[in-house]
Amino acid sequence: MIKRALAIITLLIIGYWLAQGLAGVPFGQDKMLVGRYYLEHVKEQTGAVNAVTAVVVNYRGFDTLGEVTVLFIASTGVGALLWRKKKKRTARTEGSVVLTTGTSLLFPFVVLFGAYIFIHGHLTPGGGFPGGATIATAFLLLYMAFVTYEIPHKVFEKTEGLAGMGYVAVGLIGLAIGGYFLFDWIWQTWGWGQSNIGRLFSGGFIPIIYTLIGIKVGTELSGIIDNMLKEGVSE
Amino acid sequence: MNAQYASLLIAVPLISAFFVPLIKGFGKRAVKYYLIAVTLIQTAIAGAVFVNVYRTGKPMIVMAGGWKPPVGINLYVGSFAALFVLIVAIISLFMAVFSLEAIETEPIDKYAMLFLLLMLGSTGMIATGDIFNLFVFMEITAITAYALTAYNKTGEAAEASLKYMILGGIGSSFFLIGIALIYGATGTLNMAQLAQLIGGVNGTVAQIGLALLIFGLAVEAELFPLNAWAPDAYQAAPHPVTVMFSAFVVKAGLYAAARLLYIMQNASGWGSVLKMVVIMAALTVFVAEFSALRQKDVKRMIAYSSISQVGMIAFALALGTQAGVEAGVFHMINHAIVKALLFLTVGYVGITLGGTGIEKFSGLGRRMPLTAFAITVGSLAAVGIPLFNIFWSKIRILIAGVEAGYTWGVALILGASVVEAVYYIRLIHTIWFGEGEGRIRENLAIGTIALFLVLLILFIGIYPNYFWTVSQKAGEDIFNVVNYVKNVPLMGVGP
Repeated sequence: MIKRALAIITLLIIGYWLAQGLAGVPFGQDKMLVGRYYLEHVKEQTGAVNAVTAVVVNYRGFDTLGEVTVLFIASTGVGALLWRKKKKRTARTEGSVVLTTGTSLLFPFVVLFGAYIFIHGHLTPGGGFPGGATIATAFLLLYMAFVTYEIPHKVFEKTEGLAGMGYVAVGLIGLAIGGYFLFDWIWQTWGWGQSNIGRLFSGGFIPIIYTLIGIKVGTELSGIIDNMLKEGVSE
Repeated sequence: MNAQYASLLIAVPLISAFFVPLIKGFGKRAVKYYLIAVTLIQTAIAGAVFVNVYRTGKPMIVMAGGWKPPVGINLYVGSFAALFVLIVAIISLFMAVFSLEAIETEPIDKYAMLFLLLMLGSTGMIATGDIFNLFVFMEITAITAYALTAYNKTGEAAEASLKYMILGGIGSSFFLIGIALIYGATGTLNMAQLAQLIGGVNGTVAQIGLALLIFGLAVEAELFPLNAWAPDAYQAAPHPVTVMFSAFVVKAGLYAAARLLYIMQNASGWGSVLKMVVIMAALTVFVAEFSALRQKDVKRMIAYSSISQVGMIAFALALGTQAGVEAGVFHMINHAIVKALLFLTVGYVGITLGGTGIEKFSGLGRRMPLTAFAITVGSLAAVGIPLFNIFWSKIRILIAGVEAGYTWGVALILGASVVEAVYYIRLIHTIWFGEGEGRIRENLAIGTIALFLVLLILFIGIYPNYFWTVSQKAGEDIFNVVNYVKNVPLMGVGP
C-alpha cells in the first residue's frame, strides 16, 4: 500500500516536471529549421515524392542503417538465446479446414501487398519496415495455421545477411563514385529517372534500399517467430 | 587521407557482421579466425585515422550521403574520437584472440555477429555528431550488450540480462524524450548547431531536456542509482565481453554524456545539471568501493572496482574545467588498459580453473606465475600506486577537483582509494601466500596480450608525458566547444 502510494506520488512529480518542460516548448510556432529545407528541396534533390522516406533513407540514411542493424541484433540475439542443438515445433492442435484453406489462399496476397508497400516506398506511405513486417505476418499466418510448417532456415538466414550486405554495399559504391558514404549515386551522379518524378522508376536509390530493407525485415521477423515457436528436444 | 574514408570505421564491421551467416558452414574455428581478421582490419583503419587526425590536427568530418549538416548526419572524428576508436579496435582485436580460448558455448556465429556489432555501436557512439544518431548507436550498443550478457544461458545470466534490459529500456526512453524536448525547442538535431542555438532556449526546457539526456546515458555509463545491473552483467557475461563492457562500452556512454554536457554549456541551468552529475559520480565511487570490499567472487569484485573508477571519470568530466576534462580522459585511457588486463587475466583463470571464486586464486603465484604476475600488476595499478599509470591520472583528477572547489568529493575519492587498496592487497596476498600446488601450462597468445598490457601500464607509469599530451588534446576536443562548432561545416538553414 505504502509502496504503491509512493510510486504514484513519484510518478506524479515526474509527470509534473515533464509537463513543465513541455510547457516551455513553443507549440504551433514555426520551429522548422531543417524541416523546411527538406520540404522545399526533397523533389529535386532525391526524386522522392514521399518526404518521410526521403529523409529516412536519403538525408538521414545513416540512422536507417542503424535501425536495420538494431533489428538484425534483435533477431540474432533471440537466435543466440533460444539456441538448441535440435528444435521442433510442439504445436498439437490442428487448425480447422477453414483456417488452413483460408491461409493458403491469403498467403500470396499478403506477400504481394508487402512487396507492393516496400517497392512504392518513395511514392506512397510505408516503406521497407512496414512492408517487411507485412511479409513476416504472412509467415506468421502459415505458422499459426499449419502444425508442421517451418521456414527454410538456411535460405532465410543467408538472404538476411545478403540483404544487409547489399545495403552497406550500396553505401560503399556511393563512397567510391560520389565520395560520400551512402551517397545517392543513382540520382545525383547518373541522373537516372530525373524526368520521371512521381512514377515507379524514380527516387534514386530509395526503392533499391527499401527493397533490401523489406527483404531483410521480412526474413528477420519470420526468423524471430520461428525461434520463439520452437522448443528444444532432448535426444 | 580523404576524410570521408573514416566512414569505413562504421561500414567495415557492419558488412562483416552481415557476412557471418554466409561463412558459418565452415565451422567454429573458421568463424573465430574470421573475427580476428575483421578486428585486425578495423584496427588498421582506426590506426590510419588516428595518425591522420593527430598529424594534421584537424578533425575528420564524415558527411553521410554527401549532405552537409544539419540536413544530413555527420560523424566528427576529432582528437578524442580518433583516440578512442583506436582503443576500441585494439581491445576488440585482443578479445577476438581471447575468444578463441574462452568461448565454447554455441552458437558461435551469433556470438561473432554480436561481438562485431558491440564494437560497431561503441565506435558509432564515440564518432557521431548528431544526437538522434547517438541514440541509434546507443541502442545498437545496448541491445547487443543485453544479448551478450545472457549468452551463457545460465539462470544467473538470464537474470542479469533482464535487469539490464529493463533499466536500459527505461533509460533509452528517457533519452528519447529528452531528444524530443530539445528538438521541439530548437528544431535541430545536429550537435554543433545545437551548441549555437541552445543559449536562446527557454531555461526550464533546456534544463529538463539536458537532465533527461544525462539520465538516459547514466544507465550505460553506470552512474550510481542506475548501475544496479552492472555487477551482475559483468559477472554473468562471457569473459571477453566483460572486458569489452568495462574497457569501452561504458566509456562510450561517459563520453557521450560529457559531450552533450559541454555542447549545452550555454543553456541556462547548466550548472545545476553539472552539480547533479558530480554528486551522482561521487556516490558511485563511494558505494561501489564499499560493495567491492565484501565480495567473495574476484570477477564481481573487479566489476565493482571498475564501476568506482568510472565514477571517478564522471566526477572529473563533470567538474566543468579544462583540467578536469583532460584528467578524466587520461583516466579513461588508463582505466581501459588496467581493467582490460584484470578482466582478461581473471577470465583466463576462470576458464582454466573453472570459476572465479576467491578460493580458486589461492596460491595462484605457484600455479600460473605469468597470469598471477599480470593480476598483481593490474591490482597495484588500479589502486594507484606511484610508478603505475593510474597514479598519474588519479592525482590529476584530485588536483582538478580541489581547483574546482569540490574538496568534499576529493576527500570521498581519497577515502575510497584506501578501501580499494584493502581488497586488492587482500587479493594479492591470497595469490602469492595462499595454499595451492600444481603448475599449469599457460596459453601463449593470452600471455603475450597480458604482458603487452603490463608493459604499457609500466611505460605510462614511468613516462606519463606521451600519453598525457595525447589526452590533453583529446580533452580539449570535448571542452573547447567553440572550436568544435567551427570545425563542423554547417550549412545555413532556417530563418
